[in-house]
This record gives sequence, structure tokens and C-alpha cells, in this order.
Amino acid sequence: MLKYLVIVLDDTSVSYCHYNNECKEKRLIDIDTLKKGIVYAMKENLSIQYVLPDYTLPKKYVEVMESIDNIKFCSSNSDMIDEADVIVLNGWCSNINFNREKTYVLRISKEELFEKEKDIKLSFDKMSRLNVVITNITSFKDSDIDRYNDVLNSFSKDVKSLIQNGFKINILTDRIMLDAMNNCNAGAENITLAPDGCFYVCPAFYHCGENGEYGLGKTKFCIGNLEKGVDIKNSQLYEVEYAPLCRKCDAYHCKRCVWLNLNSTYEINTPSHEQCVVAHLERNASKTLLESIGKHKLFVPEKEIKEISYLDPFDIIDKL
Amino acid sequence: MKKLIGEVTSDERNEIKAIFERRNGLNELAKILTADNEELYEKLVKDMGDTNFKFDNWWNRMANKYQWESTEDGNWEINFETCEIYLITNN
Amino acid sequence: MTKIKDLDFSWQSKITKNITFIVTKDCQLACKYCYLVGKNEKERMSWEVAKQAIDYILNNEDKFKEEAVIWDFIGGEPFLEIELIDKICDYIKIQMFKKDHHWFNSYIFSFSTNGINYHTEKVQNFINKNKDHLSIGITIDGTKRKHDLNRIWKGEGPEKGSYEDVVKNIPLWLKQFPEAGTKVTISSTDIPYIKESVLHLFSLGIHEVNINCVFEDVWKEGDDLVFEEQLIELADEIIDNNLYEDNVCSFFSEHIGKPLDRELDNQNWCGAGKMLSIDTAGNFYPCTRFAQYSLRSKRNWIIGDINNGIDNNKLRPFLTLDRCTQSSQECIDCEVASGCAWCQGENYDAALTPTIYQRSTAICKMHKATVRANNYYWNKLYRKLELEGKREDFEKRGIKVSPISCY
Repeated sequence: MLKYLVIVLDDTSVSYCHYNNECKEKRLIDIDTLKKGIVYAMKENLSIQYVLPDYTLPKKYVEVMESIDNIKFCSSNSDMIDEADVIVLNGWCSNINFNREKTYVLRISKEELFEKEKDIKLSFDKMSRLNVVITNITSFKDSDIDRYNDVLNSFSKDVKSLIQNGFKINILTDRIMLDAMNNCNAGAENITLAPDGCFYVCPAFYHCGENGEYGLGKTKFCIGNLEKGVDIKNSQLYEVEYAPLCRKCDAYHCKRCVWLNLNSTYEINTPSHEQCVVAHLERNASKTLLESIGKHKLFVPEKEIKEISYLDPFDIIDKL
Repeated sequence: MKKLIGEVTSDERNEIKAIFERRNGLNELAKILTADNEELYEKLVKDMGDTNFKFDNWWNRMANKYQWESTEDGNWEINFETCEIYLITNN
Repeated sequence: MTKIKDLDFSWQSKITKNITFIVTKDCQLACKYCYLVGKNEKERMSWEVAKQAIDYILNNEDKFKEEAVIWDFIGGEPFLEIELIDKICDYIKIQMFKKDHHWFNSYIFSFSTNGINYHTEKVQNFINKNKDHLSIGITIDGTKRKHDLNRIWKGEGPEKGSYEDVVKNIPLWLKQFPEAGTKVTISSTDIPYIKESVLHLFSLGIHEVNINCVFEDVWKEGDDLVFEEQLIELADEIIDNNLYEDNVCSFFSEHIGKPLDRELDNQNWCGAGKMLSIDTAGNFYPCTRFAQYSLRSKRNWIIGDINNGIDNNKLRPFLTLDRCTQSSQECIDCEVASGCAWCQGENYDAALTPTIYQRSTAICKMHKATVRANNYYWNKLYRKLELEGKREDFEKRGIKVSPISCY
């Protein structure tokens, strides 16, 4: 069931996830489209998330946007950083004035993450929540496993003392708190309204542009518009129950990114080997962290993360 | 005439089947390999000798183990599906 | 005392890799039901492409761990490229032996041919050279009128059937491969000729007739009823004339028409993804049905190529696919689900989005008609055997069962 409507306000709106938005040409959503989008969300009981561009939006837009409760995403370079709830860092920069009231998304390549691990963790005590998004996850190799484990272990040492003060980092603490799949769920729980007035599964399916190809067809495909409503063909495939590899998996915090799925395996419901391995390294690091803290101290006495022998559920598909 | 004279275990069947298939492969390879390809030809000749030895050895071992009936002009045959052994004679 | 053998290979008992070379996209025929919509005379496999494919496969033994291999050759019509095939097979044999590859002990060369060139010297030389490692199926659709309805010669002018050109080679084929079976394809127009066709094939000495309805959405209102009538009449003929003793027709199987368990019977029907198909350009596919010349409305699904090898991520959807995830609730709950086949390529081609996870149900009513006729067949046969006091003996001997095939 749909719960959220993401509204991409401009073609240059920041990416807060795995996809890149390289568009430099501004194209602000029509104000009537914005209004209709908000009304649609109200009628469908959807919570709204705005994705902002870097420039200051006209006052009349801000007024319309604030006509309903919302969450706003912007980049750390945006003129509207003070208004936003979620700040996206494109690559690591230490000279940010972190604000504990906000959530931070760090979009970073694996290479930069491996290189700047120490700098990054020095800022943990200035934040309340950090979401790390590896932007080139598809190039993750088996040879990166040890290095990423080192990063997770290194982070874990600092997180151990900060977690009781409320600090959260998606790649280590989310799994500890979950007892069921809690993925991105684009196409199942959230959809996106783009500046062209059409709905998309998520912003990635809009920002890939008219020429984007994934092997079996155009990557950009809309799933309806404000006039006709939402019409997702084979919509069941966005649900975890229709994902054979994921439905019995316990890397509950995994994004299960359908955009990455489509590009790497050609199927919305099938994750790549790389996405599974990264999620399981994080899962296992979460297990170690949980054990080192003691679950009673975290007020999660029922939670336990089991020992497993694989990093990719595909390797044990016959036993799932 | 075809007469059922015994049966082997599935492990024993698998053993002779593998040897049999290898022998067939070697025989067909022999049709296309010539002595010009010295190294491979020698490998083939040696393998054919080894495989034929294993083939005969299996039948001798099994005949001895199960004490199969035999005749001068007859031969034994195995049904790979059922593991049954038959005695085939001309009369 | 000589020690001999039995050439019963029991290939189905082994975990087998099927590797298909699409050696040409050309064929002498233009069969009306052919799913290969992009056949042409230009695309032929070169020796360089074939050699590179073989080298990739045999040099990566760790990625191909199946116990046995079927080297499959299709077209178009594969025997149009018999010289290339001969060279490929010689190279495969030599390389498997040279590399001490485990497949040297367990391989077969397999062909599905229209049979037109079967008697030619080149084809016969090839057969004699490889006779212990061959499986050749000639497609003959039944009686002349059924066969010629669909299997016609390519080209301009009035339609010309190919029956006479094929049937002349059947005796030679059966002499060389007495256990060989044929596959018959049923489309809407030839339903009225099913009974006579199966009986005709039995009379030609073909004891195994594998027959299936095309998976495409071609069926008209009432086709299922005519189809059922044909199968009932066929059942009567087979039983009344004791043809069941030596012959098998895949329409009649005790396994057809039972409900399937959601958990225990959840495996995929189709082997797509477990096979490897190589086209004339050196691209790899999970099955030939995913090559562009097989697809009406979707793009080809390439999983790698001879230069870069297999991209395992592209295979994951195929190897994790199960019955229920791709089926509608109606299919999952179906009381007669067993034996209802599907083709992953046709599912993909017919799906609303580019996915293999949406099962096409175009053959639903034809399957249900098969189930009704199949029930009739077994009820009638077992009653007859009981009255004759032969049922126990019949069951003990084992029923000849036709292997499951997708085409």
C-alpha cells in the first residue's frame, strides 16, 4: 500500500540515493502540478517528501509546499539548507556545520569511503543520524570485502559509545532495531511525482533521462499521471513477497533498490550479487555490534541476529 | 538368446557406465586424431589402453564376485537403467 | 566371452548442461507456427565465433560443473551448416580430451532437424563419425495433410508442403536411431488432424511422439472442445488396438492434471537460465527463445558474450524463479495444475513489462481439455487391464513415459 509521495521539485533536484542526477538545466515543477500533487497525496493519505534544488524557491512555491506537513531533502550546497530536514553530502566534506536536528545522507564512492573512513567517523558525535549510500555499489568486488569490513568495524567502535546517546547510522544500527524487512519499497510504499507531471517509481527513473537504457528497454518509464492516477504494471513485483531472494532474507535494513536491481539483473525484484554482499557485510557487522553492546543496554531484548555462513542468499537459494 | 543372469549395484553400474562412455569417446576421437598430432595421439593411445584395461577388469571382477554364467560364444550385456546383466548367445 | 554394454545412456538421471549453438538463422521451410520470427539467410555462425565460445566454456570448467553436457545445434535448420558443425564437434572432442575435461566422459551432440538433408552424404558421414554420441530428432507433424498445413517450403508462389521430402528419410533415421522420438506442434488450424497424425507416426515406426500446443495466444473459441474430442478418439484408438504396449504419446501421462503444492511443487517448469545459448554474433542467452530472432515484441535478453563471458547478475532472475512467484492466484489454486507447461521466453514476450515473472496463460483451456482426455484415457485403460487381469503386470513393467520437453 502506498504511504509516501516523493515530489521532485526541479530537474536539478539533489539525488539522495544511488542514482546520479547530472542535469544542470533548471526546470521547476509547474505550481499547478505541485498543488495537484499535494491534493492527490492528501486524498490518498500519502506523506509528502520534497526533493529540493540548490537554488532558493519562489516564495509562492514555499507557501504551497507548506500547506501540508512534509519532509524536505536538499544538498549541502543548497540555499535552502536551513529549511530542509535531510541534508545530502555528495562526497565527504568536514567543514559542514552539522545540526543534530537534521538527518544526513552521505553519497560516497566506495573508494572515497575506504580512504576517508577516519575523517568521517570523527564527525559522528556531531550528528544524530547518518545514512551512508555507496554510489558505485555495482562495482563492489570480492576484493573489497575485507576493506569494507574494516570500515564497518572501525565505525562500529565509535558507534558503540555513541548509540546510547541516540546516534544512528544506517549501515550499522538500522538492522539492530528491525525484526522484518524495511527496505526502500519504491513502487510499493512510495512513488514519485516529477516536474513533468508524471508519476515514477522513484526519482532515479525520472532523472535517468530520455536516452537511458538498461538492456531490455528505456529506463525512464512513467507509472501514471495526476489526471489518470497511478498504474503500475506488474505492481506485485515491487513487493518483497514477490522477490524470491529477498522474502526470506534477514538483511532487513537493505535498501533492496529496485533501480539497481533493474540495471544489474534486468528484473525489479532481483538484487545483484553486489547489493546482497554489501547488505550482508553490514548485517554481520550489526550483529557483532549488537553482541558487543549487549542487547539489554539497547532496550532491544528480543532482537537477535543469527550467525549465517553466506554473504549472498543466492548461494543458498535451494535452502531458502 | 538373451538370458537374465544377474544384477549389479548402482555404484557398480555407475563405474562401468563411466568407463563405457569414456571408451566410446576415445573411439570416436581416434577417428579424427592422426599421428601428426604426436603429443595428443600418444595420450589417446595410452588412455585407450588404460580404459580398455579398466573395462575388462570390471567385467572380470564382477563375474568373479557374482559367479555369472558364461558360454564360449556368448557375451554379457548390462542394462544401464535396471543394472541387470544378461547373457547373450547366438542360439 | 566378450563383454558388451547397453547403449541406454539414461541422460535424464544426470545433471546436464545444455549448450546450444544457433549455427544459422536460415531454414528451407517457413512453418506457419514457427516462433522464430526473425529467420534470415544472412546470419550464420563463423568458425571464429564458435571456437571462441567453446574455448570460453571449456576454459572455465569451474563455472560449468554439471556432470554431463548436451551440445545442441539449432537453426533455422542446423544441417544447413553441417560442415561447420562437423568442425565444431571435432574441436570440442579434441579440446575436452586435451584439457582432461570431465565432460569428455559424458557428452552428446543433439540436433532438432526438419529432416530434409538427413540423407545427404555430409550429414551421413557426420552421423557415422559420431554415432555413439548423437541424439537426432526429426520433426514430422503427422499425416501429409497435417504436416503440409504448416510445414511448408519457404519462397514465393503457391504453398508447397514438405511432407514427402521428410518422410522419405524416416526409415533411414529409425534404422540409425530406433528409439528416436519426434515432436509435434499443435496450433489452432491443425487440431482436427491430431488423432490421425499420432496414429500415422506410430505406423511409421516412431514409438515416441512428444506433442505440445504452441504457447502463443493463438487459440480460438471452441478450439479446446475440438481438441478434447480428438484426444478422446485418439485414446480409444490407442487402447482398443493395444498401441499403448509399444508407443507413447506425451498427451497421456498419469502425472497430468493434479493440484500442486505451494511449497513442495514450487519449482520452475522451464530450464531457461540453466541452459546456455550462443548466437551467430557470439552473444550468450539463457535459452534460444531469448535471442532476438525468437522475440516478437521484446528485446533480446543477453547474459554475456564470447569476449566478456557470462554476467552472473543477468542469470539471477532465472535461477531464482519459482512457479508461484510468476503465477496468478488462479494458477496457484488450480486443481489440475500439474503438467501445465510454460515457456519462459513466451512468458517474457507476452508480459506487460519486460519480465520473466509474469506467466502467460494462453494455453489454459487447452491444458484443461488435455486433462479431461487424459483422465478418460487412464480410466479406460486401467479398466481394460483389470478386466483382462493384466493391470498388475502392466504397472510392474512400468509405464513408458515421455520425457518433458518444451518444444
